[in-house]
Amino acid sequence: MTGWHLDDDTLRRYVDRADSLAEGASAEQHLLSCEPCRTRVNAAASVIELSVIDLAAVWDRTRDSIEVPRPLVFERLLRGAGLPAHEARLVAVASAFRGVWLAGVAAVLAFAALAAALGHTRGLWLFLAVAPVVPCLVVASSYDPRMDPALEPELVTPYPALRLILLRTIAVLALALPAVLLLGLVIPTEAPLAWLLPAVGFVTVVLAASTWISPLHAAIAVSLAWLGVVWLLAARSGSPQAVLQARVQAGFLALAAASFVIFLVRRRRLHQLRPWRWRW
Amino acid sequence: MDSGPGDETLLAAVAERDMAAFRTLYDRHAGWLAIRLTRRCNDRDLVADAIGDTFVAVWQKPQGFRGEGDIAAWLWGIAIRRLVSRLRTRGSAAAVFEKAEAAPAAEDQVLLSVEYGDIGQALARLSPEMRAVIQAVVLDGLSAREAAQLLHVPVSSVKTRLYRAKAHLRAALAEGSS
Repeated sequence: MTGWHLDDDTLRRYVDRADSLAEGASAEQHLLSCEPCRTRVNAAASVIELSVIDLAAVWDRTRDSIEVPRPLVFERLLRGAGLPAHEARLVAVASAFRGVWLAGVAAVLAFAALAAALGHTRGLWLFLAVAPVVPCLVVASSYDPRMDPALEPELVTPYPALRLILLRTIAVLALALPAVLLLGLVIPTEAPLAWLLPAVGFVTVVLAASTWISPLHAAIAVSLAWLGVVWLLAARSGSPQAVLQARVQAGFLALAAASFVIFLVRRRRLHQLRPWRWRW
Repeated sequence: MDSGPGDETLLAAVAERDMAAFRTLYDRHAGWLAIRLTRRCNDRDLVADAIGDTFVAVWQKPQGFRGEGDIAAWLWGIAIRRLVSRLRTRGSAAAVFEKAEAAPAAEDQVLLSVEYGDIGQALARLSPEMRAVIQAVVLDGLSAREAAQLLHVPVSSVKTRLYRAKAHLRAALAEGSS
């Protein structure tokens, strides 16, 4: 902050890089402490900006990168669990993690659990009908491009789709299952765990079917089929305990295993995950 | 000439997440930083990235400035190191040497000797490699390691070049004074 300032010739030579090291160093040292001269350099730089750097574009990029929201709690949790940052982001952007969505799922489950707590047998049927299909619906909608705008670019990026889909499925289930489990515990029978194997079976069926059709279509089809089966069982006045029988549970396990094998065999088709459309 | 709040005020506002203040700070400093960085690295994209990184760092840690010296000097310290780390992560060698200097015109030569005396002459006689090392280590205050990354040479070369450059300068100045 002395009375001394860079003269115009020196300044021009500096900006044009036509000066010597000594002169340049002197100019730089002065610039660090002289606001007016910096302003003059900026002005000179903006004249030759095209040949230097597009500072407006740099600003836009800078602003974009600082306005990226802080990672969600869930994403930070995943990173804490040892998942690399970019994978944590991929997994966490699934719309299934949006609060609204979870609240909706919780409401459905609460309704089912409430019904089960009120009327014994009928409530239990209701719970058995709803709880197993919730995870597969959640998983399916986390892959629907319409619900998750991030999905489309993800599937065309050179990234193993299988890994992405499995990681996401596990993450979605990790969120959905405890909720269902917790509410299932409210129901005063040995039923709470009855839905677990069916749920796993349905999720894998949806994954396998999504190599042919939209995951959401698959999930809806599976849900309708399950509702039909439950309705049929109830109509024939079978006891809800029927689902608990070892061979029925083993059947669901076999279903899960078979679907998973199909899913693995056809995993190359995952790159063409079909979006939800009204025609099949 | 100096209009509006000072840099310290702006930086305090940035700490309060004031985007307008941040923009002003950017407009005030990005230009000369770009000019100075392009004197260290010819790769415009890399310099642009380094400037972006610098201001992201400022936004994230405005309290990194401890109120000592000029904010401009603090910014430069961040910027040159961001450039070094960009160069390092990119791996490929970027052309770093200052552009081949046209031989100074006669009147410039006179001006130099008037303004800087013997030291200017002595510096001008150094090879470009030595000048680059002097610039990085002595003028920019980088460590030998950082300078090595900036210039894409081994650390040992930086040290030997610096040593030789000093010897050259000493000899040149001794010669000039005698």
